[in-house]
Amino acid sequence: MIPAAAERATAPGPARHLPGAGRAARLAVRRLGMLALLLAAVFAAIELLPGDAADATSERGESAADTTLRREALGLDRPVAERFWDWISGLPTGDLGTTAHGQPVTSVLSGPFPNTLLLGSLALALSITGALALGSWAALRPGGRVDRAVAVASTAAFALPEFVVSVALLLVFSQWAGWLPAVTLTGPDGAPASWDMLVLPLLALAIPQIGWNSRIVRGALADQADLPHVQAAIIDGLPRRRILIHHMLPGALPAVAVSTATSAGMLVGGAVVVETLFNYPGVGAVLAGAITDRDTPLVAGVVVATGAAISTLLLLADYVRDRILGTTP
Amino acid sequence: MGVTRRQLLWAGAGIGAAGALAACSGGPDGSKDTASSGADSGPPRSGGTLKVGALGKASSVTRDPHGTQSNESDYLILSLVYDTLAVPGAKANTAPRLAASWKSSEDLKTWRFVIADGAKFHDGTPVTADDVVWSLKRLRATPAGASRLPGIKPEGITAEDAGTVVLVSDYANAELPLLTRLTTFVMKKGTKDDQLADAPGTGPFKLDWFRDGNARLVRNEDWYGGEVLLDAIEVRIFESPQAMANALLAGQIDVASNVGAVAARTAETREDVQILRRPNDMAMPIVMRTADGPFADARVREALRLAVDRDAMVKQVLSGYGTVANDILGTGDPRFAKDIPQRGRDLAKARKLLAEAGFDTSKTYDLLTSEDISGLAESATLFATQAREAGVKINVVKQDSKIFWDATWLKAPLYTSYWGTNDSVVFFASKTMVSEAGQNEAGWQEPTFDAAYRKAIGDADEAERSKALHRLQEIEFAESGYLLWGMADGIDLAGAAVRDLPELPGYGRVQLEKTWLAR
Repeated sequence: MIPAAAERATAPGPARHLPGAGRAARLAVRRLGMLALLLAAVFAAIELLPGDAADATSERGESAADTTLRREALGLDRPVAERFWDWISGLPTGDLGTTAHGQPVTSVLSGPFPNTLLLGSLALALSITGALALGSWAALRPGGRVDRAVAVASTAAFALPEFVVSVALLLVFSQWAGWLPAVTLTGPDGAPASWDMLVLPLLALAIPQIGWNSRIVRGALADQADLPHVQAAIIDGLPRRRILIHHMLPGALPAVAVSTATSAGMLVGGAVVVETLFNYPGVGAVLAGAITDRDTPLVAGVVVATGAAISTLLLLADYVRDRILGTTP
Repeated sequence: MGVTRRQLLWAGAGIGAAGALAACSGGPDGSKDTASSGADSGPPRSGGTLKVGALGKASSVTRDPHGTQSNESDYLILSLVYDTLAVPGAKANTAPRLAASWKSSEDLKTWRFVIADGAKFHDGTPVTADDVVWSLKRLRATPAGASRLPGIKPEGITAEDAGTVVLVSDYANAELPLLTRLTTFVMKKGTKDDQLADAPGTGPFKLDWFRDGNARLVRNEDWYGGEVLLDAIEVRIFESPQAMANALLAGQIDVASNVGAVAARTAETREDVQILRRPNDMAMPIVMRTADGPFADARVREALRLAVDRDAMVKQVLSGYGTVANDILGTGDPRFAKDIPQRGRDLAKARKLLAEAGFDTSKTYDLLTSEDISGLAESATLFATQAREAGVKINVVKQDSKIFWDATWLKAPLYTSYWGTNDSVVFFASKTMVSEAGQNEAGWQEPTFDAAYRKAIGDADEAERSKALHRLQEIEFAESGYLLWGMADGIDLAGAAVRDLPELPGYGRVQLEKTWLAR
């Protein structure tokens, strides 16, 4: 971040930090700006795909004139910039537009989004807990048997696509053992009918992320281990556990926070596959269908919802880093 | 994917679907057929909740009975709650439902439909002709309305008295009742668009709740159509056939509707799972353009029809879950011309015909296809290999679905098509083969065929119509732009306790009012 560095250079001393609230606001504005750019990119990308929502939702044998009528009804005959502006100017009022099938986007997402949020946050929590535990365990005895095993296992886990993990889990826990349901079915409230339906999709999402994050945790802890105060603690003969918890983990936190935020993004990507395989009623399935239908408002709606969730996480990660390192990212 | 948007939409367009052969033909017999298993578990009994999985995309959910229904799950729910005037049938391809009977005028242009006795909405109000007229007009006013009720203008839909609806067609049409299957859902007159979610229907089940494409429906105790056995049906939407099959194998659902051959193979070893095969479900013809181009000569088309190895196609492309076909579309029609001899493979004759026609065998011809439904691209590849043995070099080109429908369909010299509506010969003639047909896939213009078609739907004498229908099929067999090598079965999986599931192809599978549970 060159501009930030330059700013720091010209404003030395304690005054180099903007007041807390101002800094927070700047970070938030930057994240919002990124989201708006992303949405513009979504509109542009769907515009570039062959066909549009009027074609995609047409009935075989519908006349060209009828398709044109529907194209006009959906407003697709207007330039993409104009449609984007119309859509995004409704956003502050909570209006996400209407799908190509004539349903309000908010109502299409009202069931799936909380479900994805639930699955995603549980998977994220599990990933981080698992990664911290594994990474720390490995870091306790650098180069030891545990360290090497975790290194191999975590790399392997991260290399496995969610699809492979899902199919393996299904085979083992549902088809052979019969312990867990194969798919998620929902009740009248739109949420999974029982908690055990969450287990397999949760594991399928979390396992690759545990792999990824435990590598990060392990790496960050290794960096901490070389720092003078940690070396001093080791020489003082403090218990390993104490050194880990009190001297190493706090310093590793910023790296872990950023990798958590990155994981959140990857979880959303994995959710499309995992939700389909386990029939989990989340936004992943909605997104896949919406892209096939060239349903721009719905795709953008999913992006806004998940983007807002991920941006919030990124923002939190920024703050954590900011707090601990005392720099503006 | 076993099923796609276009195919579904197509059936949704509703000029037909589902068929007839299932009940009367000796179609390939699944080893664990419901009809036979039902026999040894006593008479049908009442009670229980049936959980049915159906394909659909959460992004495409629609509640409008006259909307663009691309989800099988939506269509299933709608057809349990609402009734259409007629439904697909077994002995005749059109069976009565909300309309108990129909009768045409002498000239076959004016048709009177009599509403079933005792038909009432779920809120208790009786169904009147006004409700039906209002619903049909609403259907006619949708963007695809003209193709859903072809030949019928909005002003041609009227009520004669409280129990009789009159439809007037622009032309003589002996097959008009066929048009009232599948899409003519009847709602109460004046139902507003924002009331669709709770609008009462007249069907065998009432809506208990609906959420994101899933629903629970409870028995309509007061259904005019007879006793409904199941207490309730729960419909669950599935994005992928694989997840649906997994749910069935894990016992989470009782029926996996239209789940496809791949799932059937997986389930073959399972004693506790019934595999239901509904013959004549899906046609995947190869279209040869007749209007111009390399296949315009009828001898060349005949040669390709002789070059295909139909048995091998069914065995390899459909994994054996299908039957050989004879180049005539509408195989499920009770009036299908079974007496026309089955065309077999004859490479020598094919070469001779190609030589006579002066076909350029030094060139390579593109066969365009998509991966819209499972087996489609594979059928093209296998056919290309077989055609090579007759000296025709074919190069298979797989296209993105959108590009295929925009640039190839109705235009290219050689491409694959597919149809989910296979119980009416006349339907295909009217939609895809008569000269002026809007979806004349091969650009076929054959005056003798057109004449046979008009006689088949318009002649006042039934015997004459029937003779013309046979003539029509002979011409189609000999000269059309279609190579129809086989028919894919529709495949459902069901748990051991499920009895009397529908056996009709296509959307006949949604008629669950006679289904019951032996447990």
